[in-house]
Amino acid sequence: MTDPLAVWVGAIVTLGVFSYLARDNPFYRLIQQAAMGVVVGITIVVTWKQVLQPMWLSPIQGALAGTRDWTGALWLLALVPGSLWYFQLSKKWFWVSTLVSGLFVGVAAGLAFKFRILLILPQIGASLKPLNPFAGPNGFTWEGFLDSSNNLLFLAALLTTLLYFFFSVKTENRWVRTPIRWGRLMIMVALGAMFGNTVMTRMSYLIERMQFLYEMWLRPLFPG
Amino acid sequence: MGRWLARLHTLNPRWLYLATAILLIIPLVILIPMPRGSASRATRGLYDAVEAVPAGGIVMIDSSWDQGSRSENAAQLECVVRHLCQRRIRFVVTSLGTVFSPEFAQKTIEPIAAQAGYVYGRDWVNAGYVQSASGLAPVISALALDFHTIRQADVRGTPIGDLPLMKEVRTIRDVRLVYVVTYAPSPEWISFITGQFGTPVAFGCMSMMAPNYYTYIDSKQLCGMLIGNRGAAEYEALIRHPALGTRLSMAASFGNAAVILAAVVGNLGMWAARRAGRRGA
Repeated sequence: MTDPLAVWVGAIVTLGVFSYLARDNPFYRLIQQAAMGVVVGITIVVTWKQVLQPMWLSPIQGALAGTRDWTGALWLLALVPGSLWYFQLSKKWFWVSTLVSGLFVGVAAGLAFKFRILLILPQIGASLKPLNPFAGPNGFTWEGFLDSSNNLLFLAALLTTLLYFFFSVKTENRWVRTPIRWGRLMIMVALGAMFGNTVMTRMSYLIERMQFLYEMWLRPLFPG
Repeated sequence: MGRWLARLHTLNPRWLYLATAILLIIPLVILIPMPRGSASRATRGLYDAVEAVPAGGIVMIDSSWDQGSRSENAAQLECVVRHLCQRRIRFVVTSLGTVFSPEFAQKTIEPIAAQAGYVYGRDWVNAGYVQSASGLAPVISALALDFHTIRQADVRGTPIGDLPLMKEVRTIRDVRLVYVVTYAPSPEWISFITGQFGTPVAFGCMSMMAPNYYTYIDSKQLCGMLIGNRGAAEYEALIRHPALGTRLSMAASFGNAAVILAAVVGNLGMWAARRAGRRGA
């Protein structure tokens, strides 16, 4: 059961945000600032309570008090690289912070290589699709023909889109200009699909709020 | 008629906002039965992946959404959890997104799990918020290698090692499927879970993010994906339990029809205004 006070606060805040549609107003700006404040406040509390306290402070306290394994005290060492970041605030000692930022960049670069290779290589393999409608186990079928046509369209879109981003070719040539135009068309189709989905998402936001206002706030006010 | 259409071109957009709001409320007030389409390949893929998990198997759900994407992610989490409960599959929930995510996941899952007779700690666990400000790649990698080093207590503060279910979950190899539901799931899950360990990964994402992930469905790097409320509605049809996704996608159909109508009428208005202008000149 949801707390009625929470529902009322939610409804007033929702209507306050919607009031922006009429015109910008102080109530809307008040809600905007309050929301940002609440998010920052809760993030600090939860990060402390669910991450730093149980995973960093408690092992140290336990180790020092002798109630937990002594290795917990090693977490004190995390303060050394952590505090090095603050040297970024000093012009003279800035170089000290590069010791830790260099370490982070190195780790991030290593993981990024691994991430990209594991993500992109299977994509290249998956781009090689059968184009022959007669190559199926049962010879020519309409299903196989439609699959091949789809694969051909995929290949055309892939190659022409790649060509569109290939800047070291002169585009005056007719043999290059036509595929580049086709590539641009493919990109526009993809962007159109993205825009259509964006409209759907924005609509979902509105529907969810309307549902909240109607089912949680208005309907209990007028039962029956 | 032409003059009337031309006047539409200069209509105050606030009237459109009001009309859209009223139109969206109708399907929420009156339940209108609508024809159901067949499930897309992406939705069917996730359904088949869950069906492939044996009863008693373990699925990991990363529920990293909050109020910002509740409008679509809530239904996507609900329908999959309901399917897991129907098949008596156990699950562990993490939240690598925002600090609010564990609470939203708890409120969504708790009633469904209770209705199915699931016992917390034995059949499902909410492991809580996993801090990932330094980047998802190291966190997902570490999570895959040793879950217990990343989360030492669950969302209630119970030590992870004391929960019966978590005694069986140490690495990603103990999990049959990973389902990531958030605004825009990170492709790091694909690289560091499917790419490295071969554990299937499925996504639940906002509609607007879906075009970014279709390519991973084609390459079979993602086993399935729920796209917005439409995906949730399709999934609910597959598990024969119409719920939130079906209701919201019904309202979305009204909204989309309104957008199409407004675009057509707006263009007609512009055409009529231009024509009237030419005649005036």
